[in-house]
Amino acid sequence: MPAIRNQIRDLRAMREMTQQELADRVGVTRQTVIAIEQDKYSPSLETAFKVALVLGVPLEQCFQYDPRGKR
Amino acid sequence: MVTSLSYREKSLYASLAAELVVYCPYFFQHQQNSVNKVAGMIIAIIVLQVILQSVIAALTRSRVTDERDRLIELRGYRAGYLTLASLMVIGLGMLWFHATVGHLRLDSRMVGLHFLSVFFGMLVIADITKTATQIVTYRRAI
Repeated sequence: MPAIRNQIRDLRAMREMTQQELADRVGVTRQTVIAIEQDKYSPSLETAFKVALVLGVPLEQCFQYDPRGKR
Repeated sequence: MVTSLSYREKSLYASLAAELVVYCPYFFQHQQNSVNKVAGMIIAIIVLQVILQSVIAALTRSRVTDERDRLIELRGYRAGYLTLASLMVIGLGMLWFHATVGHLRLDSRMVGLHFLSVFFGMLVIADITKTATQIVTYRRAI
């Protein structure tokens, strides 16, 4: 289990937003959005805040930290 | 598959292809060490890279790079540096060993050309390691 998990895929699906649309609005590549959604890449604090802002939710609803998870 | 690659990934595949196309014939076919051949190889890699990178830039609509691209780039450079440093230590150790046991006369011109070729080969291996590491890191999606 990764240390930082996220609900981006669900939140994005609820808004009918594609990975490319989210990537464009956050200012990253679609491949980065895919890596974040698969919990393979933990974004910087700035990108995490931008994702939460674009999805219109608080940061903690988007990303969760599990101290027992693998870093 | 190509359309799912980011601009940086396409650029890396082109770099690796250019490196293999130019370096492999040089190191596996040439019989004699020569400064002219090294210079020819450097010019060939520059020309090929410019052509390939221009084509990729022209064919790719979005050329966005982000923090993950920079992280992967740094990992590649670290792998390349570690490879180069390790090979340098081994190469200098071999040079010192051969000079100490008397197999080599370090003031010979051929020895100089030989080691120029060897150290250039180390640079090439480090460069290929850097590019390959970046491609593998992209493929693992980290």
